[in-house]
Amino acid sequence: MTTDITSSLAQYIAAQILQQPKRKIASDAPLISSGLIDSFHLVDLSLFVEKQFGVLLDDSELNKDTFDTLAQLAQLIRERQS
Amino acid sequence: MNLTSILAFTALTVTFGVLVLLAGERIRRYKGWVMLVASVFAVYWLQSSMPLRNLDFWLPTASLGLTVIVWVTINIPGRIAAREGGTVATRDTLATLTVVVAVVLLVGLTRYTDILITPSRPPDIVSILISLIVVAALAAAAGAAFGRRTGLLSIPIFLIVALFVIFKLDALARSASVVLRTLTGQATDQASALDLRWLGFSYLAFRLIHVLRDRSTGKLKAGALSLREFVSYVVFFPSLTAGPIDRVEHFTKDARSTLTPGVDDMVEGGRRIFAGVFKKFVLADTLAIFALNATNAAQTHSVPWTWLLVYAFAFRIFFDFSGYTDIAIGLGRFFGIKLPENFDHPYLKRNLTVFWNSWHITLAQWFRTYFFNPVTRALRTRTFANGKTLSPTVIILTGQVGTMLLIGLWHGITWNFVAWGAWHAAGLFVHNLWTDYSHRRAARAEQKALNDPSSQPVSEPASPLPYRAGLMGVVNVVITFHYVALGWIWFALPNLDLSLAVFRRLVGAGG
Repeated sequence: MTTDITSSLAQYIAAQILQQPKRKIASDAPLISSGLIDSFHLVDLSLFVEKQFGVLLDDSELNKDTFDTLAQLAQLIRERQS
Repeated sequence: MNLTSILAFTALTVTFGVLVLLAGERIRRYKGWVMLVASVFAVYWLQSSMPLRNLDFWLPTASLGLTVIVWVTINIPGRIAAREGGTVATRDTLATLTVVVAVVLLVGLTRYTDILITPSRPPDIVSILISLIVVAALAAAAGAAFGRRTGLLSIPIFLIVALFVIFKLDALARSASVVLRTLTGQATDQASALDLRWLGFSYLAFRLIHVLRDRSTGKLKAGALSLREFVSYVVFFPSLTAGPIDRVEHFTKDARSTLTPGVDDMVEGGRRIFAGVFKKFVLADTLAIFALNATNAAQTHSVPWTWLLVYAFAFRIFFDFSGYTDIAIGLGRFFGIKLPENFDHPYLKRNLTVFWNSWHITLAQWFRTYFFNPVTRALRTRTFANGKTLSPTVIILTGQVGTMLLIGLWHGITWNFVAWGAWHAAGLFVHNLWTDYSHRRAARAEQKALNDPSSQPVSEPASPLPYRAGLMGVVNVVITFHYVALGWIWFALPNLDLSLAVFRRLVGAGG
């Protein structure tokens, strides 16, 4: 289940944020601390997570301390879904 | 904080830490009270002197009064707290109020002794008692007005921002000084904006707005915080004067922890305090001698020396501020409070976006949480009557310019801080456009490769050769550092003309 979430997030980030649909993003690659996703796209990502998984990410949670990798974000979504 | 106060706080925290190590739970359970008493004392002790009579007593009292008023506003005991599952320990509240009032009265009573906590002799005890009654009445009124109507909490937020503007805008601060001088019977012709130096108010305002906003959105439940925790959070002595700006849920989690700080915490805390003192009092204070300021800028005319002033300022402000942060984090560790980091090698970042993830992290994060993210979210989900939406470029520009101007203005309401904010907003926006262009170029290359039957599908971006990537990394770091360093020219100087003159001098075009 978490793998499905990770793959869905990776697909969204590659296609919509990086505009490279074929690009692979490792589940442990840093997204925020590396600058791969900036503040604007982080808000977009939170809107996607809300729409796709029904999980709300608060404005105070959009930072590397809450999640910095696909695996961490998928884990967070999984926890809030259950 | 000066060296004396840092040494005194270090002595207090180390003593407490050692006692906890030796006696364990018997001492650790007093952690909250020690933090509270030390913090309330620190509010008075750290306040610098001011020419206005008794203001060095009244402003710290106002800090505590505001804190108590906001706590009452967000924590109306009784039905709301019970309904939302909160717990308000009345006995703890009364005990906390007793301790806070006792400290205030104790500081006030030093008026009649030779040992002063405040820079000047406090006002008479009757005035102090009247002020405490006024605070109690205001707290009751605020609680009645806003406690059960969280939708109205934007009013106290607005009032705190208004107070902030009065103290940060020279013209208003001077007018306030005239009013206060009239009240105290002092000469109004000597009124100056410098008369009002409210210690730690900028950080206090951030913490209070944070909890008021979170209460109004329902993120923070009524009764979730005890008065003792709340006062300790808002005026926690290590982070009172220069941050970092912790989040209340993180702070209280650490404050409530029953884990006893161990030797590791003490060693790490001591290391951070030592590093902070070295950065602040050796490196920063040495660099301050030749770092850019109005006097140095007016006296320096050669190109290399002007560059030296700019570089010295860039490193001075980093060592100064990160030194204070180290000291705050180190002191916190002795109480088991892990204050958030504020700096992460900011001058070694490859672009401005990452720089702002590593410079004054808690301030940038505060503005993202309460301005950039909600504004971006609102604009991103907005659809006009004709079915159109705003372009990402417009949204990014709005969010970044707004955020950076607000961060600039937080440092002081002057044109130079506006220029500094605009400088960074422009840099971030250009970097954003560049990133967007790079993504589109990579996407085109990917598409081209997919359309070319002779080529293999590209699943990873083409990696440049290692040495080339390393070289590009160094170049990017150097460019980013220089953009930031040049931005300090707006920050360090009092007016735009002087800043522009320094810019001209850097390229040999000034006199």
